[in-house]
Amino acid sequence: MTRTATLNIDLNRVEGDLEFAVDLDGNRVVDARCVGTLFRGFEQLLIGRVPTDALVITPRVCGICGTAHLYSAALALERLGSLPVPPHATLIRNLCLMAENVQSDLRQTFLFFVADFLHARYASHPLAAEVDAAFRPFKGKAVIGALQASRKILELVAIFGGQWPHSSYMVPGGVTRGATAREIVDCLDLVEQTTRYFERDVIGDSLDAWRQLDSGDAFFRWLEQPRHADSAIGLFTRFSRSIGLHLTGAGVSNYLSAGAHYDADAWSAPYGEQKTLLAAGVFDGARGVCEPFDPAQINEHVRYSWYRPYTDGRHPFEGETVPDYQPESDRYTWAKAPRYGDRVVETGPFAEMLAGGDRLLISLLAQEGASTWLRQFARLRRTAELLALMKQQIAALSRQLGSPHYHAPPPDALLEGEGYGLVQAARGTLGHWVQVRDGRITRYQIVTPTAWNASPKDSAGRHGHWEQSVIGLELADPDDPVEIGHVVRSHDPCLVCTVHFAGRETRFRYGV
Amino acid sequence: MASDCHVICFGNELHGDDGFGPAVHARLADMRLPDGVRLFRADTSGIAALPLFEGCDRVLLVDAVSGFGAPGSIHTLPPEAIALEGASGHGFGIGGLLRIAAATLPTLPAIRLVVVETSRVTAFMPGLSPEVDAALPAAVDSIMEYFGDELARCA
Repeated sequence: MTRTATLNIDLNRVEGDLEFAVDLDGNRVVDARCVGTLFRGFEQLLIGRVPTDALVITPRVCGICGTAHLYSAALALERLGSLPVPPHATLIRNLCLMAENVQSDLRQTFLFFVADFLHARYASHPLAAEVDAAFRPFKGKAVIGALQASRKILELVAIFGGQWPHSSYMVPGGVTRGATAREIVDCLDLVEQTTRYFERDVIGDSLDAWRQLDSGDAFFRWLEQPRHADSAIGLFTRFSRSIGLHLTGAGVSNYLSAGAHYDADAWSAPYGEQKTLLAAGVFDGARGVCEPFDPAQINEHVRYSWYRPYTDGRHPFEGETVPDYQPESDRYTWAKAPRYGDRVVETGPFAEMLAGGDRLLISLLAQEGASTWLRQFARLRRTAELLALMKQQIAALSRQLGSPHYHAPPPDALLEGEGYGLVQAARGTLGHWVQVRDGRITRYQIVTPTAWNASPKDSAGRHGHWEQSVIGLELADPDDPVEIGHVVRSHDPCLVCTVHFAGRETRFRYGV
Repeated sequence: MASDCHVICFGNELHGDDGFGPAVHARLADMRLPDGVRLFRADTSGIAALPLFEGCDRVLLVDAVSGFGAPGSIHTLPPEAIALEGASGHGFGIGGLLRIAAATLPTLPAIRLVVVETSRVTAFMPGLSPEVDAALPAAVDSIMEYFGDELARCA
């Protein structure tokens, strides 16, 4: 028998503006609708403004990934004006974005994802005592360590941006200030401190040894050593797999990355294809191959969204975000449905590392298929990659001391034209598209990582990735569907970014 | 050198009485405060406000609350009085923030809260309710009284 249940899952650790409606056949999920419940309209309020306003307004889209929004906005304007950017500036931008992503990866894993392991259902689990000691909110060893390390690494953004979040230090042509020798030493110290924490608490091994793991077999052998098994990632893995998180939440099998972190020496006007330290691409999980990334393939559908209707998908340069709330229709969300060509894709650290060629993750995907555990595991895999890249970027920045950090654009640089900027934000591929006429923005479109992942059905009726990742899930207790929480949280969802709105009034009780 | 006291005002002035903290900040910013007192607007910054708990001996946290008394009533509370809210990816409640401060800071300052009981918190309806607006002088008096007591204690 099929019964429809609207499950108001406790996703407070995610955001207060996400709901899942699922149809159950017995205890099995047979259909799902991911509902972004609130509208904000950042894109609309940018229309009519001068282009550089995007540098101040769009970092406010999100309190976690403002650096990624700022970076995307600056890239879009540079492409619009064909403005060169010096390597010195790209290195600073990269370092700040890497710091932001390290912060997000650590917090998402140890503050939000593993908190579900303390659920009453697992109280008598053989690992419960270990889980409690490591992962209990505000008390567990891994939680406290993640809080301290994530705070520390963000100081790097403060060095160059003055503040985090919501900074505006990237501008078309560069950054507002260059690095000094003292600041490079400070940056290196911050990365070293974070690396030591990561090695000691998260992996129980050296960063180099961890990064050299290149296959599923090598990883599972590594995990047999007590020092590794007892590490935070070891415990996370053992517990996750003991409750079957390596068997659920696969979702789609196409993984999108716009390429992570621009190659400072290669990235300058005129801007063509992505030139990044981790390659861009669409990884085909079924065939194990990665195809080149083509931004022209990106389009957004609104067939099931509360926007002014249009048919099929539109590329962001032809897109619009005109709210049209239709509660009595079959539309069900404020999120749009981004598609890559006609494909539903997943984005995030897992996709970023697959496209970037991480052999361990590619091996695990081939060996076991995608899963809730593997997606979350990939996030910490990325953290290690980022820490290693940060050291390289700091070394490169030290060679740029005294070189220009900013090329002033000509006065008419941003009067007419169009441009776009793509980065790998904490949660995956983020894009800004801007069109300007007579010095004013005529169109601004933002496609966020969570829009990709949390998208509703498209014009052809294809479910979004999250929806697909929970369809087929067996719930032990439909009144307490912790399984759905595990799957959804493994994506580090950010509906604030996606629907560009913050909150219900109850969330503001204490003003935070 | 460490500041003596940080006054940290939380709240979102776009949402009715949740703007109490910013309103108190505005009043205090026009006043001469004792030496060693630093005034901050933390608004909705959540965990990003943690550095404001460093470099001082005492923290006075100003916010709006619900469930502590009649609308517009001012209360001076210890941190333990604030319940732990659900932790969000983008914002911990003040309860969560205070627990994170206690768990992660090497030295925790003495913390007190000066709070107002809200009457009306409506999203995107700026402006304080009459009850909370009328409580602003009492809130400022309460804060100045705290400074006076503490300074006298240090003297």
